[in-house]
Amino acid sequence: MGGLSRQRVIAILALTSILLITMDLRDSFPVSGLRRLFGVIFQPVEGATRVITTPINNIWHGMTDYGDVSKENKRLKDLIARQEGATIANIAGVREAQELLALNGLPTLAGIDSCTGQVVGQSPSNFSQTVEINQGRRCGIRVGMPVLNAAGLIGKVTESLDDRAVVMLITDPAYSLSVKIVNQPPPVVTVPVLGPESAQTTTTTSTTSTTTTTIAPKNTISGFTPGVTVATIPSTSQINPSPDDASVGDIRPGQGNDSQITVPPGANLPLRETGALEGRGILRTPIVRFIENQPRFGSVYVGSPIVSSGGATSLAPPDIVVGTVSRIISRTGTLGPLLEVKVAANLDSLNFVRVLLYQPSTERPGAP
Amino acid sequence: MILIIAQKPATRLFLLALVVLSFQTTIFNTMRPFGVCLQVMLLLATSSGLARGSEVGAIAGFAIGMMYDLVLSSPLGLGAVVFAIVGYIAGTANAFVHEPTWWTRMLLGGMSSGLGMLLMPVALTIVGREGVMSRQIIVVALVVGLTNAAVTVPATSLCRFVLTEPSKAGL
Repeated sequence: MGGLSRQRVIAILALTSILLITMDLRDSFPVSGLRRLFGVIFQPVEGATRVITTPINNIWHGMTDYGDVSKENKRLKDLIARQEGATIANIAGVREAQELLALNGLPTLAGIDSCTGQVVGQSPSNFSQTVEINQGRRCGIRVGMPVLNAAGLIGKVTESLDDRAVVMLITDPAYSLSVKIVNQPPPVVTVPVLGPESAQTTTTTSTTSTTTTTIAPKNTISGFTPGVTVATIPSTSQINPSPDDASVGDIRPGQGNDSQITVPPGANLPLRETGALEGRGILRTPIVRFIENQPRFGSVYVGSPIVSSGGATSLAPPDIVVGTVSRIISRTGTLGPLLEVKVAANLDSLNFVRVLLYQPSTERPGAP
Repeated sequence: MILIIAQKPATRLFLLALVVLSFQTTIFNTMRPFGVCLQVMLLLATSSGLARGSEVGAIAGFAIGMMYDLVLSSPLGLGAVVFAIVGYIAGTANAFVHEPTWWTRMLLGGMSSGLGMLLMPVALTIVGREGVMSRQIIVVALVVGLTNAAVTVPATSLCRFVLTEPSKAGL
């Protein structure tokens, strides 16, 4: 290594670095090929080292994480017990929602193929938040595909080799995603008059009197009751119902007479607003910015769910759960508030993840 | 033929770095004291400088950093330039010490490693990565500096063996 003078060596190293950085930032093919080749060479060495070091690793985790794992185990058992009931109700709700979307020709996550992988390592760097999974191009995984676990979105694929892929987590400062904030209105307590199977509420005004029949809601989605028809019936037939008219409010197709089929009032539906989710690095929660300060949207509430917005140029299909609003930072003027996001997925303990084989148009080869 | 190639310092450095990199991406990736990933690849770069001087330290640091970059998502060449600077600084600083002892090497190894951990976010910021400059980098630099200082002496001996021509070492 001693043929060149010191200045020349330093100059060559500096120029080489600049050249490589420039090529890599421009997604040069030789650089990605070099990474792939090195991955092929390095993978067996890493695999052997992983096998050798696993006992040491286990000892370390036994010493440092035992207390946390014990507490976490108890907490998760409680959580499972609480969520088992809710899951059953939600499965029915999700199924109905998917049927409704399919009926209207709208895309759903159920129509997108996926590939399940396991997290085998995280980034050895202190300055990037990535994990590595044990599935890659052979499974159909390509750069840009969204990755989620059972709780929600965790990131996107940034590198795909034959049997491995690198996933950038949503906390990484380089991550950005278009999202929707579902602004849940503050809870309103109503006391409907409920019968065994249905509820009847009579409203009388100076000119008309109507009877509205509703079935008690069985899910928790505000303003939406699956499979329910709200019928409005003129007062003349309802004020003094005859004994034959046993099915008050039970309007069948073709027997509608003067009845109107209506939809639930729009004011009760959760309002949605789009924004941009950005990661902020280690130990900091992601934020959502560019929320418009629309009067119709109203104030954002802590706990409002955040889902991916979808769209032609979005990195993820619509309606993937991202998290909830954990803090609202108000800003003056038309800037709109900044929202801190509590990510639904626990990024510290990722295990099995699902890669949606959905490649956004911006990540396809040849895309502008 | 293979033996001749294997006896070259560059080949031995590559093989050593490959093994150390595998430790970096497995055991040191999960053992995170104070939430900090220990940087044994950086230790290798500083030890190379301490063992064989600034020039060799810079070249070895560059090669080690390049290999590290190949498994990271950061731009290729960024870690290489940082590690080259660290190797160069370690070698230069060691040259200024009148009679280097084990504790001066530990001190220089720790300081160079800490400096490398401060330079890395600066370099990332220069190429456009946002959000890496935070107070956490101080903790990272301190933890990496202290842990690398603790193992600098054996690592320097190892690097001296690897980076010495067999004829000069009497092999």
